[in-house]
Amino acid sequence: MALRIVVCAKEVLDPDAVNNYALEGRLVIGDDGRSLTQSSIPRLMNAYDEQAIEAALRIREAGVQCTITVVSVGEGQDILKHAASLGIDEPVAIQADSGTLDQHGIAKLLAAFVTSRGGADLVLCGRQASDDDQGVVPALLAEHLGVPAVTIARSVEATAAGGELGVRVVRVTPDGDETVTASAPVVVTISNELGQARYPTMAGRMAARKKKIASVTTAELGIAGEELRPRVTLAKQFVPTVKSSCEMIPGNAEEAARALIARLRAESVVR
Amino acid sequence: MSRVVVCTWGTTGGAEELLTLARGTAAALDATLGWLVLGPAPHDLTEIASRQDVPIVDRIEDEKLQSFGGDVAIAAVAAYARQHDFRLMLVPQTFDARVLAPRVAARIDAGVVMNGVGVGMEGGVLAVTASAYGGDTRVVYALDAGRFVVGIVTSALTAAPAAKPASAVTRHCPVDLAGVEERVRVVARSEAAGPRIEEADILVAGGRGLGEKANYRLVQELAEALGGMAAASRPIVDEGWAEPARQVGLTGKITRPTLYIAAGISGASQHMVGCAAAKTLVAINRDPDAAIFKYARFGIVGDCLEILPALTRAVKG
Ligand SMILES: Cc1cc2nc3c(=O)[nH]c(=O)nc-3n(C[C@H](O)[C@H](O)[C@H](O)COP(=O)(O)OP(=O)(O)OC[C@H]3O[C@@H](n4cnc5c(N)ncnc54)[C@H](O)[C@@H]3O)c2cc1C
Ligand SMILES: Nc1ncnc2c1ncn2[C@@H]1O[C@H](COP(=O)(O)O)[C@@H](O)[C@H]1O
Repeated sequence: MALRIVVCAKEVLDPDAVNNYALEGRLVIGDDGRSLTQSSIPRLMNAYDEQAIEAALRIREAGVQCTITVVSVGEGQDILKHAASLGIDEPVAIQADSGTLDQHGIAKLLAAFVTSRGGADLVLCGRQASDDDQGVVPALLAEHLGVPAVTIARSVEATAAGGELGVRVVRVTPDGDETVTASAPVVVTISNELGQARYPTMAGRMAARKKKIASVTTAELGIAGEELRPRVTLAKQFVPTVKSSCEMIPGNAEEAARALIARLRAESVVR
Repeated sequence: MSRVVVCTWGTTGGAEELLTLARGTAAALDATLGWLVLGPAPHDLTEIASRQDVPIVDRIEDEKLQSFGGDVAIAAVAAYARQHDFRLMLVPQTFDARVLAPRVAARIDAGVVMNGVGVGMEGGVLAVTASAYGGDTRVVYALDAGRFVVGIVTSALTAAPAAKPASAVTRHCPVDLAGVEERVRVVARSEAAGPRIEEADILVAGGRGLGEKANYRLVQELAEALGGMAAASRPIVDEGWAEPARQVGLTGKITRPTLYIAAGISGASQHMVGCAAAKTLVAINRDPDAAIFKYARFGIVGDCLEILPALTRAVKG
């Protein structure tokens, strides 16, 4: 039987572009006082989610028979096209107004989707979304599904000891690497240590053009509006100001180095 | 009367800082302050509780809580939450808390917010200020009715004693963990030996501006001359020039050294959240417009491959 893998992917604003705008003092908060509305900032797939797809593809390449579904809650269709071009089996869009959902609602929808498909053996997520930096959807999803969560993986291997499906994961912890095992079904979150995600091939792009993105509504998932009412609502967003007061140390390398160390010694910062 | 509960386990750092924040929040909410300690407690538990004017410390002690295991710790906090009411549970945002907070929240049907930097009232509503976009923006989340579990980044907080110290009462809260087994089994660990950059007083960090792996040695040599530790930005960890344990930033370590020297690092927000709290920040970058200079106290514009060895000589000489 094939291993059923579901990868959860989110569309985000390009974090590097947001960073550049912020540094130049040109990051604008929209009229609602809450959202970033600059249309010049590109939208793309959360980088960790791209790596989660990469992790799924590596499992397939390791010779494990599997089906790979990529699901996204929200409006973004382009990231699902991108996913399709990487050779996954099924891209699915859950139609919902992401502006009114909180993480709790997103996790509910993802759990309902997985359940509506008769479950999944392995759910892969990014460690966090680069827009909200919350990193809570995978844990909430695991709870809704009643399965364990293994976070911050640098590698994921599918196992089938004695016919029982499971995973062997290397986690990056503050104390060094940790290898863990868990039985399926399980949620695993992927970190950047997994390594570079692949780019689509030309053939992959062509094939993706023909691939249809499946669309699912909240009603089809049997979730009423009330259940999606956010607990946490974004009241406002602002750009914090950085008080700049840098003293430039002049001179060539040798002069500047000596002058800096002298200053640091004078201030007892170094001995 | 509602409660604000700080939840810590073992000797996780930041407890006292978080209790100071929670005390203010409790006062604003007209709530009482509580402290829930899982497993082994810090040796100075009673002193901290009294300094921070915590009337009641709740302890859950169990064989199974000797070391942190996700399923057991979550079951313990969830059981506590079913027996004891509160409006807000605050946890210091450690690596383990990243999993504990959302899972507890889901289990007790509470809302959850991570990356909190402050909690207070906004227009009469309880709200958490959190960082987003790696620190490029701040978001204010309103916490409507119901219970919430909130992760707070404690590295930027300071602890202040209460005006009047209290004598805390310790309550032992038994929970039945007999049936709880860890579903995730640890089969191997590679202990990162030696000191950690989070605790270092002096850090010298290198970034992509070093050009190639061999040049990371220049960072290590200056760190050694200064009696500090070498650190790194994420791209060079991804490239394998430095170990993951040396990564500073949003998805690395949050550090708070006396001196932070950043060489060949551009100053992206995701890096700066891990070092902006340094007392003295020095930036070395060949681009005079690099963002890092906005955060720095001292800056040197130039080639870090020349300046790092010159600094090492200046320290030794
Ligand atoms: C969700 C998310 C999480 C992230 N987490 C982290 C994190 O935890 N930590 C982290 O560091 N990053 C993190 N990043 C990445 C971050 O956004 C930046 O891409 C990264 O910090 C840049 O690293 P850098 O400064 O070394 O490289 P670059 O941005 O490439 O900067 C190199 C700098 O070196 C300078 N330079 C080049 N040559 C020389 C020379 N010879 N001498 C002196 N200067 C020179 C250049 O002018 C430039 O300023 C994260 C990103 C995202 C989206
Ligand atoms: N709208 C969404 N659609 C699909 N997956 C999501 C969505 N939001 C979050 N996720 C998944 O949950 C991870 C963590 O998101 P967050 O909790 O928002 O930081 C992401 O990396 C995705 O894998």
